[in-house]
Amino acid sequence: MASYTLPKISDRRRWINVATKRIIGAGGVAVIAAILLIMGYLFWVILPIFESATMERLAVHQGLPIDVLAIDSDDSFETVTLIRANGAVEFRSAATLDVVNQITVSSSSWVEAKRVFPLTDTYVVRDTNDQLSFFRVTHQVRYIDLERSLIQRVERLFEASSFQLPENTEHFDAFRSDEDLRIVARTIDGTIHLVEFEEVEDDFELEFPDENDITGPQGDYYTFFGPRGRFLYDVDRKSGAFRLLLVPSVMRPRIVQTASFANQGEFPTVITPLLGRHSLMVGHDSGMVVQWSLTSSASGSILRPIRSMSFEEPIATLVSEHRRKGFAAISKERTAFLAYTTSNRVLAEIELDKPPQLVAFSPRADRLLTYNGSTLSVIGIENAHPELSWRALWGKVWYEGYEEPIYSWQSSSADTDFEPKFSLTPLLFGTLKAAFYAMIFAIPLAVAGAIYTANFMSAGMRAWVKPGIEIMAALPTVILGFLAGLWLAPIVEDHLTSVLLCFIFLPIGILLFATLWSRLPSRVINSCDGWSAAILIPVLVLLGWLTLSFDQTLANLLFDGDAKSWVYTTVGLEYDQRNALIIGIAMGLAVIPTIFSIAEDAIYGVPQHLVHGSLALGATRWQTLVRVVLLTASPGIFSAIMIGFGRAVGETMIVLMATGNTPIMDLNLFQGMRTFAANIAVEMPESEANSSHFRILFLTALVLFLITFIFNTAAEIVRNRLRTRYGNL
Amino acid sequence: MATSETTEQDLSIQRQSLRVWWQSGDPWIWLTSAAVAVSVTAVLGLVGLLAVNGLAHFWPSEVIAIKHESYGQQTTILGELSEREFIARRQFLEANPQYAGNVANTVERWLLKTGNRQIDPPDFRWVFTHDVVEQSVPTDVVVLERTEWGNAYGYLTAIKQQGMPLETSDTWAELQSRIARSESIREAIDQLQEDQISSINYEIEAIRLEKRRRQLDGVTDFSDLEANETELQAEYVLVENEVFRLTESLERDSLSLTLADGTETVIPISTVIQAWRPNQMSLRQKVGMYFKNLWNFLTDDPREANTEGGIYPALFGTVLMVLLMSLLVTPFGVVAALYLREYAKQGPFVQLIRIAVNNLAGVPSIVYGVFGLGFFVYLVGGTIDDLFFPEAKPAPTFGTPGLIWASLTLALLTVPVVIVSTEEGLTRISRDVREGSLALGATKAETIFKIVLPMASPSILTGMILAVARAAGEVAPLMLVGVVKLAPTLPIDGNFPYLHLDRKFMHLGFHIYDVGFQSPNVDAARPLVFATALLLVVIIIVLNLTAITLRNRLEARYRASIN
Repeated sequence: MASYTLPKISDRRRWINVATKRIIGAGGVAVIAAILLIMGYLFWVILPIFESATMERLAVHQGLPIDVLAIDSDDSFETVTLIRANGAVEFRSAATLDVVNQITVSSSSWVEAKRVFPLTDTYVVRDTNDQLSFFRVTHQVRYIDLERSLIQRVERLFEASSFQLPENTEHFDAFRSDEDLRIVARTIDGTIHLVEFEEVEDDFELEFPDENDITGPQGDYYTFFGPRGRFLYDVDRKSGAFRLLLVPSVMRPRIVQTASFANQGEFPTVITPLLGRHSLMVGHDSGMVVQWSLTSSASGSILRPIRSMSFEEPIATLVSEHRRKGFAAISKERTAFLAYTTSNRVLAEIELDKPPQLVAFSPRADRLLTYNGSTLSVIGIENAHPELSWRALWGKVWYEGYEEPIYSWQSSSADTDFEPKFSLTPLLFGTLKAAFYAMIFAIPLAVAGAIYTANFMSAGMRAWVKPGIEIMAALPTVILGFLAGLWLAPIVEDHLTSVLLCFIFLPIGILLFATLWSRLPSRVINSCDGWSAAILIPVLVLLGWLTLSFDQTLANLLFDGDAKSWVYTTVGLEYDQRNALIIGIAMGLAVIPTIFSIAEDAIYGVPQHLVHGSLALGATRWQTLVRVVLLTASPGIFSAIMIGFGRAVGETMIVLMATGNTPIMDLNLFQGMRTFAANIAVEMPESEANSSHFRILFLTALVLFLITFIFNTAAEIVRNRLRTRYGNL
Repeated sequence: MATSETTEQDLSIQRQSLRVWWQSGDPWIWLTSAAVAVSVTAVLGLVGLLAVNGLAHFWPSEVIAIKHESYGQQTTILGELSEREFIARRQFLEANPQYAGNVANTVERWLLKTGNRQIDPPDFRWVFTHDVVEQSVPTDVVVLERTEWGNAYGYLTAIKQQGMPLETSDTWAELQSRIARSESIREAIDQLQEDQISSINYEIEAIRLEKRRRQLDGVTDFSDLEANETELQAEYVLVENEVFRLTESLERDSLSLTLADGTETVIPISTVIQAWRPNQMSLRQKVGMYFKNLWNFLTDDPREANTEGGIYPALFGTVLMVLLMSLLVTPFGVVAALYLREYAKQGPFVQLIRIAVNNLAGVPSIVYGVFGLGFFVYLVGGTIDDLFFPEAKPAPTFGTPGLIWASLTLALLTVPVVIVSTEEGLTRISRDVREGSLALGATKAETIFKIVLPMASPSILTGMILAVARAAGEVAPLMLVGVVKLAPTLPIDGNFPYLHLDRKFMHLGFHIYDVGFQSPNVDAARPLVFATALLLVVIIIVLNLTAITLRNRLEARYRASIN
């Protein structure tokens, strides 16, 4: 524009001119950048999902006591807890390993310390006299004058009671639930000694246990409780032979499976339970680790191999995380691997200095502690989303306890017994299913409507119909959803027969009416030409009303009186009140205006000389429409359908309100689904920021974004090309 | 373009033989016209359904007394007929096998709103007309709308003061005057609670935060604050005592009501909002009450977990949020469009951006909600809290969903609408006009401000109205960034800074979702949901029609002035 500038322009005006240019430029770029930021931000949030885990040696501390039986740390990794053979629990600063607190629990010496299953803060120790004692270690955060401090406590449990292990006990395990305490001890001669105390409370003396001895095979057996204390694993560490016992009460144990983790002649290198003890991890000489899980079968739960992971080196030690189904595996060659079962991933590895005697995760699994007589190494772990991988998100996953690999979405938060299941496939399926049924309903109505409005409707009526249907596009979907869920769904359920028959009766009825109409005198036909849509409204209402009021008669005639039970017994389809049929109708209505408006534009824009030429050559109106108009406008109609599809895919409120929101994979017209959009609306408010769940929901938002963006762009390109083509015709 | 005019007239259809008619393909044309008919019927039916159901709710309908017999036992109930339906004999017999033999093909049943939830819980009853022994419209039935337990139906027997029955000649007039008294006391209490107590609490909270801020800065001298706080607390006690006194006097009166089954129940007048005798009201009185109810619906707070009362906070929240959004979206949308059309160098890149902006209008709204939650609430809001409100931590101030984030999210959602519409307007202004202005010596900025923008204003306005219409109807993103089912306070009140951008708010659309789907008493709530839905639809249709008319008018005016 410089050439237009006149010489006499004042400084002030020039300044305003330049400032405007700058401000508009900056503002414009900023707005456009902000819009594009959306996509960038969604990417940025989901990026950590695909970051690989890292392990890094943070510190090696020397000069620790050599009599440590167990190591642990508090939740935020401020103190390290050492349980020592001298009967003391020692708390050391995690940074310096200086003693901050030492609590002597017992005057006798301990030989073994282990956690009480399934609690993470309760220990059971065995002393030199084979007596067991229980205690709980807690770390409480206190604020004193706004200064944060950690207070360590050690609480003896069942102090008044004594627990004597039988002589020659080789191995023992303890289980504690809200009601009962169970102890199992295995002696050298193969006797399994089971003890159970009922109605246990921490501070009470425990009395009158149920006790039962059963005999088992001799050998290097290792016996421990499984889930809920109702299972007992009896495993030969050397040969891999195992027995699975069901223990509803200790007095009635029952063997449900006898098998071996290894082939004849092979010896497992390690057998360790995973968090929750639904699975056992079995290491083999080849470096393979196989996950055996309790899976349901005809004869109850039995152990079956569900997954194997390959490490290059044979694994000697395996330790499970406290809150997830991940584990660390340390090979005989001292390599520490970090792995995750559900996603079947080996995530990271690091070389250790010495083979460790004790290995433990910090509760948040952000540190791995390895202890080797007087030396403690702290390994830092960055491993935020090990359970996610492309395959775990989209493929079938074999979860613990399931009969076979499945697609499943259950995002409730994890505990030791439950693992969240993040398969996106059911959601994608639901999204497409909802969009599919909506499109089946919407395409014929919208496209046929567009054809009629553009070609045959009188100008007077068109001036009303077009804006009318476009206003329909602005109707809040929450209202459509509300009507669909609370008004339409019960009506359809009660009048299923007639609703289904409407799809047949209405077209037939209209054709009949048209035939009769064509018998009217030409004068009438011609004067009403272009208004047939208006004439049909009362006809439709009447036909619909008739069909609905003869619902019971029709049902008696066709479906033995009840369409719902007929569908279930004869076709085998279950009926939910809020189902895909409702969604098809409600969401169909929501996308009709979108498709209608764009398709109508495309058809209306077909150059008139083509139409005239065709009619002049003797083709009927219908022939002209099908062979000339539709053919020319087809790209436009196609792009209208794509944009409509994009809208159906992302629609939230209708699906949220008019389906049961159950993530099932079933094409059944009479069942619901859960879509990406509804899933976000349901789960996002409760999702913890930056958790795996949160990032997956972002991923689904990104998927939605990309689907619609791609469809809309494609449609836009098609339309642009069509515009040029119309110009050239 | 006038297809219909030329082609169809020329081809005016002669009556043909049936075979020829079928072969011509005309039946299929009828089918396409049926598609239009279905769509139009659906739109009209939808709006009609909302109107009928939503508007009927406010009518003081007649109360009927029904004596019915089931399992050999006779019971009398009082209630408003709220629904009637016919069910098939088979279905009926499955549920009620004792009727076998003497049932017609279809059985009619009525849903009666019987109220009195405090006495026998479901306030709706189904009655088979089959069972009805006697039906009447007693003239002296009284309906009470109450602050709790829903409506009450019965016959007024006495009014009590301090538990003692009152001797009056006209019980009904006495009741009305006592309801008016309790109403005025209730208002006084509300006044105290809303104005004084809430502002004292607000100040005490501000003092707590100030203390905390000083602590964080290492200052330990709170004497001035503590003096202030003691004063406030003393004031609080005074106001509280006044509230207690009022509450006590509010509880003075009660009434006793004879229910349909003859038992008597005592209802405190303090809980009665209004009382009416529908069966002896004239049409005029009913119409008057209808509009009063309608007005109360728009201006009252919701009661009973949103299933009763009004929707004022939701209406207020919707309007305020939309206003804030349009303040944000209009300047930015216009600036972006001006940049794209007037300043940016036209080329494939700008074309690409244009397509991208266009397509963003089609991105699902829930995606914007996710973005708003992650970016605005957690990232921006969290940062603001860290920098400016450390004293409130760990409670978030801006790092939680709120009004400002909802407005921003919706502004982002609707900015493509404004950009596209403005650009359209800018494109339509011919080059001559611009060049004329420049030729007369105006700078580019002057041309834009004095010529281009005024000429494009219809399009800008249209874009803005369409954006508002879209924002008013959106619910999905708002569920993530700031809407709640029940907000304790409005986002505007008498406490500095008056407009509280960080507060959560209520919204008509979310209200529909929440009351319709999350409420425990769906039958009772349904009419309100219909009414709310109708209100929302009316708002949106009016906005859209305004946009269309405005565009047409301004366009015509500018066309005239250019010519």
